Amino acid sequence: MKKHIAIVEDEPALRENYSAALARHGYSIKTYGNRRTAMQAFHTRLPDLAIIDISLEDEAEGGFDLCRDLRALSAELPIIFLTARDSELDAVSGLRLGADDFLTKDVSLPHLAARVAALFRRIDALRRPDNAAEIIRRGSLSIDGEKMQTTWNGTPVTLSLTEFWIVHALARNPGHVKNRQQLMDAANVVLDDNTITSHVKRMRRKFQQIDPAFDAIQTVYGMGYRWVE
Amino acid sequence: MSIRLQFLIVALSTLVLPWAGCQYARELETALRDSQEKTLLASADTIANALSAQPQHVFRDPEGTQAFAASRGDLYVHPLRVQPLLDGYRDDWGVAANPSPLPTTSGYGARAQAGSTERYLYLYVEVDDTHFNPQPSNARPERDRFDRVDLWLQRPDGTREFYFFGTSAPGLIAAQSIVSGGDGRDRAVEEQRIQAFWLQTSAGYRIEARIPLSFVGSRLWIEAVDGGGSGSAGVDAVDAPDGGRLFFTTAGLDDLLGTFIRSGTRATVVDANALRLGSAGNLSANIPGAAEEDAAPWYRRFMSVDTSSFPQQPSSAPDRLGGNGVAAALAGRSHAEWVRGAESQELLLTAAAPILIEGRTRGGVFLEQAGDQLLALRDRAVTHLFNLTLLATASAVVVMLGFATWISLRIGRLRNAADSAVSSDGKIRLEMPESAGTDEIGALARGFERLLARLNEHTQYLRTLGGKLSHELRTPLTIVRSSLDNLESEGLREDQQRYVTRAREGTQRLQSILSALGAAARVEESIKQAESVNFDLCELLSSAIAAYRDGFPQARIALETPADPCFIRGAPDLLVQLLDKLVENAVDFCPASGTITVRLERALGSYLLHVQNDGPPIPQALHGRLFESLFEQRLGRDDKPHFGLGLYIVRLVAEFHGGTAVAANRSDGGGALFTITLPLI
Repeated sequence: MKKHIAIVEDEPALRENYSAALARHGYSIKTYGNRRTAMQAFHTRLPDLAIIDISLEDEAEGGFDLCRDLRALSAELPIIFLTARDSELDAVSGLRLGADDFLTKDVSLPHLAARVAALFRRIDALRRPDNAAEIIRRGSLSIDGEKMQTTWNGTPVTLSLTEFWIVHALARNPGHVKNRQQLMDAANVVLDDNTITSHVKRMRRKFQQIDPAFDAIQTVYGMGYRWVE
Repeated sequence: MSIRLQFLIVALSTLVLPWAGCQYARELETALRDSQEKTLLASADTIANALSAQPQHVFRDPEGTQAFAASRGDLYVHPLRVQPLLDGYRDDWGVAANPSPLPTTSGYGARAQAGSTERYLYLYVEVDDTHFNPQPSNARPERDRFDRVDLWLQRPDGTREFYFFGTSAPGLIAAQSIVSGGDGRDRAVEEQRIQAFWLQTSAGYRIEARIPLSFVGSRLWIEAVDGGGSGSAGVDAVDAPDGGRLFFTTAGLDDLLGTFIRSGTRATVVDANALRLGSAGNLSANIPGAAEEDAAPWYRRFMSVDTSSFPQQPSSAPDRLGGNGVAAALAGRSHAEWVRGAESQELLLTAAAPILIEGRTRGGVFLEQAGDQLLALRDRAVTHLFNLTLLATASAVVVMLGFATWISLRIGRLRNAADSAVSSDGKIRLEMPESAGTDEIGALARGFERLLARLNEHTQYLRTLGGKLSHELRTPLTIVRSSLDNLESEGLREDQQRYVTRAREGTQRLQSILSALGAAARVEESIKQAESVNFDLCELLSSAIAAYRDGFPQARIALETPADPCFIRGAPDLLVQLLDKLVENAVDFCPASGTITVRLERALGSYLLHVQNDGPPIPQALHGRLFESLFEQRLGRDDKPHFGLGLYIVRLVAEFHGGTAVAANRSDGGGALFTITLPLI
C-alpha cells in the first residue's frame, strides 16, 4: 500500500515540486496551501507523514499551530518541518512541539526523499518486533541503526532524525574528528555551521538530562567534533 | 572667525555712540561759539550806541578830532592808580609801556611819558646825555648853557607858561620860570608848585616831575636841551603850536563802562586813534564748577573744535589797542572774532563796535571775553554724555561677549554631540543636547535628532536587510533548485544535463551569497542564546590554527601563545567564528609569501589576541570604521561576495565577551594588526 504524505506549503511552485519528487518515489501525495484546508482534511483522514512549512500564507507561525493540532490528533504521526526559516529558535520550537525532524529548504529533493524514507523505516522498525539488527555499542551508548533509536545507559534518548545521524556518524568511528561537512553529509542535510553547532549542543543537553556527567561529544575547534569513549 | 570674535566686532560698533557724542559736542561748541559771538557783538553795539548818546562822558574833548602824532610831541596820559614818589624812577607808576622818544633832528636822545592822578600830572623824561652841565647860579636861560628840559604849559584858560628844569646838583628841585626883573634882565624864579626829581645815571639823567592839574590845559610841550651844545630833542610851543597835545583818559568812563558789562568780560573804549579812553571788567571771572573740570580728560581732544588755527591777538600797548577788531570798528564796522590771547594762548572772544557821533566814527568799544568758560560749560554737559555712552559701549561689549560665549558654548556642545553621534562602533545616539531650547539652536538640535532618527532607521533597515534578503530569497531559490532536481530525475539528455549542472552551480553560488548575507543576523541571534563556559583559550587557538593550516594551505600561519593555559569565560564557538573572520581576512590581504601571526598575550586584567599580516596597511580613512556593520571597502581581490559583515561579527563577538576590537597598522609599517581584548575571568 502506498504511503500517504501530506505537504502543507503555501508556495505553489514548491508544493508542486516536492509533490512531484516524492510521487516519483512512490508515495501518494496530498498538498494543502494553508492550515485551515489541511486541518479539514486531517480531521477526515490522517496522512502517514506530514511535511509542514512554518509560515503559511497570512499566518507567520501557522505551521507550529498545525503541528500542535496534528500532534493532538495523533501522537505517532511523523512530522517534518521544511521551512525557509533556519534560526535555532525556530528549530528548537519545532522540535519541542513534537516534530520528528526540522529541515531547511536548502535540502535537495533526493535528500528530502531519503529523509522521508528513513523516517518511514524507523516507524516500520519500531512496529516490528525486536531483532538483533545493526547495533553500535560504545560504552554506555547503544545505537540501533534499524529502529534509529539511541539509548544511554539503557535509557532511550529522544533524538530528531538529524541528531540521530550526527550521533551515528560520530560514534561509528570514536576518536575520529568529523568536520561539519561530514556530519551534514551523514545526516543528509544541508545546514550551515551554526545550525550544526546548535544541533550538537542540543544533543549534548539531551544526553546530559539522562547523565549529567555526559562528556562524550568533544569539540575540536576549527575542525569539528569527535566521540570520546 | 569665531562667533565670539564676530560678536565682539558687532559690539564694537556701539563705539559709534561716543563718536556721535563727540560730533554732537563739536556742533554744540560751534553753535555756542556762534551764539556767544552774536551776544558779545550785540553787547558791543549796545554799549557803543549808549556811549554815542553821551559823548561828553566819553571824550574829554568832544570836538578834538585831530589825530595823535608823536612827531609833534603828542603825549598819552596814562591813568595812575597810586600817587608815585618823586624819586626819578617810574617803577611805581604801574605803567607797562616804555617812554616814547621825543622827536629830534640832531640825534639827541630823549624819551618822555606822562601820567595823571586825580590832582597831578606826572612827567617822566629821560635824556641820553652822559656829560652833565650843571646850571650856574643866577643863570639866564637865553645866555647860559646848561643841561635843561624846557616845558611849555597851556593853561586851561588858554594862556601859555614857560618853565624849565635845570639844576646845579641832582636831587629834588622845583621848576623855574623866567620873569623880567626890575633891572631889565630876566631871571629864573623857582615855581615851587611844580616839583621834580633830577636823577643822574650812567646813561644820562632823568627827571620825574609833578604838575598840579590846575596848571595843565590840553597841551604841553617838552624839549630837552643839551648844555654841551650838541642839540635838543622835543618840540617847543613856538615852532609847533599844534603839537604837544595831551590825550587824557576820560574820568568816570571806567565806572560808566562797568555798568554795562558782566563779569568775565573786559570792555575798553578807544578814541579814533585807538588810544585807550577807559576800560572796565576783567577776564578771569570764576565760572562755578569750572575748576573741577580743569584736569582735562584725555578724550577732550576728541570733542573739542580745533582752535589752533585761530589768529593770535596782537599784543597791544597799554595806551593803544591793536588788532582786526579795533581796526574794523574805527573803520565804522562792527566786528567779532575768536583769537588766542597774546601771552596766555587762552581762547578769547573779541567784539568791537564803532562809536558814531553825528555820523563820524569817533572811537570804538572793544569787548573781550574768555572763551574757556564756554568750554567749561560744554565740558560739564558733554563729559557726562561721553562717559555715559562709553559706559553703554563697555556694557554692550561685555553683554555681547557673554552672550556670544554662551551661544558658542551651546553650538560647541551641539557640534561635539554631532561629531560623536555616530560612534566608532556604528551605534547612533539619538539625543542631542540643547534640543529643549526654544530658539534656532534648539530647532537645529531637534533637526539633528530627526536626522539621526532617520539615519538610525535607515541603518537598522540596512542591518536587517541582509537577514531579510537571505530569508526572502531562500524560497524562490528553493523553487529553482527543487525544479532542477525534478528536471534531473526526469532523465535528461547529456547536453541538457550540462545546462542543468550550470544552473545548479549558479544556485549554489546564490546560496553561499545568501548565507553570507544572513551571517551577521545569525551571529547576533546565536549571541543572544550563547552560554558562557570556562575554557582554555590556548587550546582553542592551537586546534583552530591547526585547522586553518589545513584550510588555507597556501598561507603561513604562525601561533604564539603563553606556555600555560589561559582560561577565560566565554562562548568558544563564537570565539572560533571571530577567529575565522580574522584569519580569513588576514589570508585575503596577506601576500603569498607573507606570514600571518596569531599571538595571545596576557595584559593587565585581560588577554590580548593579535592577528597580524604582511599585507598592505589600512588606509587612514578607514580607521575606526572597519568594524561597522555593512562597511566594506576592499579592492576586488577575489570573487567571493563581501558585505562588510566579517569584522562586524568580530566586534559583536568581542563585545559579547566584554572586550573590544581594534584595527591598526603595524608600527613597523609592514601590514595590518587586529587586536582583540578579552577580559580575564
